[in-house]
Amino acid sequence: MERKRKYYVMIIRRLLLAFFCLSILPILSFAWLVKDSVEQMNIVKLEEQANNTIEHRAEVIALFLQDRLNLLTMIVELYPPEQLMAQETIEELFLAFGKNGDIVDLHVIDSSGYQHGYVGPYWSQIVGKTYNDASWFKETLINGVHISHVFLGYRNVPHFVIAVTDPLKTFVLRATINSSIFNSLLLSAQLGPNSDAFIVNRAGEFQTPSLLDQQSLSEQEKTLISSDTKAGPFHIGGYVYATRWIGNKHWLLVLKASIDDSLKFYYTIRDRILLIFSVIALLSLLLATFITVLLTRRIEKADREYAAATMQFSHIEKMATIGRLAAGIAHEINNPLQLITSQAGWIKELLPEEDPNTVKNLEEYQKAVEQIQYHVRRAGTITHRLLGFSRKMSAEKGSVRINDLLEETISFIEREADNNSIAVIKNFSEEMPPILTDGPQLQQVFLNLLNNALDAIGRRGMIEIATRLHADQRLVITFADNGPGMKPEQLKQIFDPFFTTKDPNKGTGLGLYISYDIIKKLGGEITGENREQGGMLFTIILPLTGSGAAGDNR
Amino acid sequence: MKQFNVLIVDDEDEFRDLTIKRLTKKGLIVEGAESGRKALDIIKTGRIDVVVLDVKMPGMDGIETLGHIRALQPLVEVVLLTGHASVESGIEGMKLGAFDYLMKPIELEPLLEKLNDAYEKKRLHEEKIEQAMIKKHMAMPS
Repeated sequence: MERKRKYYVMIIRRLLLAFFCLSILPILSFAWLVKDSVEQMNIVKLEEQANNTIEHRAEVIALFLQDRLNLLTMIVELYPPEQLMAQETIEELFLAFGKNGDIVDLHVIDSSGYQHGYVGPYWSQIVGKTYNDASWFKETLINGVHISHVFLGYRNVPHFVIAVTDPLKTFVLRATINSSIFNSLLLSAQLGPNSDAFIVNRAGEFQTPSLLDQQSLSEQEKTLISSDTKAGPFHIGGYVYATRWIGNKHWLLVLKASIDDSLKFYYTIRDRILLIFSVIALLSLLLATFITVLLTRRIEKADREYAAATMQFSHIEKMATIGRLAAGIAHEINNPLQLITSQAGWIKELLPEEDPNTVKNLEEYQKAVEQIQYHVRRAGTITHRLLGFSRKMSAEKGSVRINDLLEETISFIEREADNNSIAVIKNFSEEMPPILTDGPQLQQVFLNLLNNALDAIGRRGMIEIATRLHADQRLVITFADNGPGMKPEQLKQIFDPFFTTKDPNKGTGLGLYISYDIIKKLGGEITGENREQGGMLFTIILPLTGSGAAGDNR
Repeated sequence: MKQFNVLIVDDEDEFRDLTIKRLTKKGLIVEGAESGRKALDIIKTGRIDVVVLDVKMPGMDGIETLGHIRALQPLVEVVLLTGHASVESGIEGMKLGAFDYLMKPIELEPLLEKLNDAYEKKRLHEEKIEQAMIKKHMAMPS
């Protein structure tokens, strides 16, 4: 039983594992695949977007710078130095080019650093200043052009300086340009609430304020400046970086896009997908468990039924085999018995012819021959019973009242029961219909059971015989005694031929075997079991109509 | 006791010889045959009244022999003798026209009784036929 239980648990485990592998695993791996590939796709898209944006912005800013530079170069090349150094010319130029507001002021400075003309809002602070020591001034004279870092200057407004000199280097034209225009350009380059766009110089200083109020570049970010930027976007700590050098590698335009930002929408979808997948997985797991348990129960039930059927079948098989075997043996014995009785009979016939005077023990011989014939008859009775011949004589079926038949049978043993102080209790149902069956044979069965009960009890006890009509139109007859009962291992054998618990001289071991055979032939069932309160209980169940003999009812 | 002819058909020599001996002693005219085929040869002569036939024999068995006997000599009565045969084969024999059947071991007296009954039946049968013949002759004198 324990082994079977383990077997069913194993079936449940295997089925669940199979269900898990076949349903949950594919769902999970599919979910993981979808999640991963969507994430990757998003990042690729973000990189692409960052690249496009930075390309565009870098172009605009570069154009803007180039435009301003071109303007100044043009002025320097167009005007002769004397004329440019006049305050009126500067003012004229300022009015002409400074209209859109990004040129804050214009200086004209001669090569010795002396300022000749100025147009702008800070005239009072700047007029008369000399710049011959200023590094930007020197650089301009050497390189012909200077672009400064962005600084706040005196005016607390971010701006930067472009200075150019004429080919002869007789003077320097310097323009201060409002760089807040970059800020608006970069603001529109922001790719998300946590993304950034700014310009740094080669030293890594912010040239435009970080949109996220970042104060300085991190160490990792500084490596961006040193690397060549035509290579694709970088990933640093959850951000995608795109960079472009602008203005003669003076400034680095940096676009920083948060991956999380771009994945925000995806995350909500992902969460929803994961939720749906989990619900499906859970449901299928529940269903699988339910089906598995149901299936295993079915298997268990089928197994039980099969085992019961096998047992019943093997019992029938066994009884049939025993029957064949017994008949075979009986036959083999009958032939020698025939010869014994024939020979004995021959002697018996011849003995009277002998002279009593010469044969001293004639009477003894005659007696012995009689005994031989008597014992052959006894043996013959047993073999005939085994062969079923004693029963064939009364194969006629008739209407039988079970209660009356029982009364009659009990009357045979009543005296013996009385002598041994055994009470016979009758519990007969009044509604027993007459049934069509073989009365004499049935009586033999009843007598067998009653004799067995008497033998089992010995002295002092009771036998209870009950009849009742079962709901499904069958008669139930029970014989209960309060004798010692049977050991469990004996119970299995009680209907086997030659099985007996009685004294070897008292029982042949054929009574119950023949009873079993008779009841089977009458289409009924007979079972024997121990009663809970001790003693044996035999139950006979008979069909109302006998075995297919209903038509014979006259 | 009337004298009549009996044929014992059994493959077991000891039983056959002993039975012949004992029945002869009782005044019957008894012959023996150890097989069905032999038995048929003897019956063909027409001198047999009653046959004691063992059901189980090698070669032609009792039931088959019975069928042939009924075809050859319908008036001959047959008593089946069986050591093992089931109720079914006994019933089959009766259906084929056997007078009765007996189970081994059987003592001589009941066997003798059965043989007398069988012969009586045969005799009555023959008498009836004879009377019928006489009637026929009287009705249609030639």
